[in-house]
Amino acid sequence: MGSLRAFAVSLCGDKERADDLVQETLFKAWNHLDSFKEGTNLKAWLFTILRNTYFSERRKRRREVEDADGTYAARLATHPAQHGHMDMQDFRAALGRLPDDQREALILVGAAGFSYEEAAEISGCAVGTIKSRVNRARNRLASMLGLEDLDADLSNESISKIA
Amino acid sequence: MDAQKKDRRQKRTPGVSKRMDQAVKNGPGSTGGVRAGPEGGLPLTLQAHIGRHVRAVFDEVAREPIPEHLLRLLKDLEQSGDK
Repeated sequence: MGSLRAFAVSLCGDKERADDLVQETLFKAWNHLDSFKEGTNLKAWLFTILRNTYFSERRKRRREVEDADGTYAARLATHPAQHGHMDMQDFRAALGRLPDDQREALILVGAAGFSYEEAAEISGCAVGTIKSRVNRARNRLASMLGLEDLDADLSNESISKIA
Repeated sequence: MDAQKKDRRQKRTPGVSKRMDQAVKNGPGSTGGVRAGPEGGLPLTLQAHIGRHVRAVFDEVAREPIPEHLLRLLKDLEQSGDK
């Protein structure tokens, strides 16, 4: 339930709306329990309901969402993250600026613990599409946060950790 | 990289200076490791770095207590299932 809620927050960027989404998801899941195939992945099923609910609502509220994206962009513009180490605030903002499909793929695979195959099923697309979305998401984050130069540092850091 | 170039770079992006020093101190071979990621992606170290942050952002929310009204809803649903 915690990770379902975290997924909702990552989609809409707003906890109150995320809680509404989770609530709606639980209701829908309950009302369609008969369509859940026993022995399959309950977690993936709930995530699927939640993201479908979000995206169909989003299509209805398109204009509102675009405004929200504009706010993210404006915040980043006044506070560029070019200072080597990135703090969580910058990272969260950059994550919020990713295109929805890329952010979703990255979260499902990189944080929620789904395989590429499960993520593809949840998002209703091909496994290859998920893989390329995850790659593009990482590349975009790296360039938004000015991380390309950081690679050398990170290598040193990981070496010292191993040592 | 010669000193003049380094100087110019520091002026342009102040944050870079520490990293440059570090890189100079460790020498060019010290970056080591696997640099190119699979399928032409980012270097693995950078992927791991981004991965840690994605998980941190996610887990921060995932570990929050579930809001009371959602817990109540779950309980209600469970009870109606027992009937």
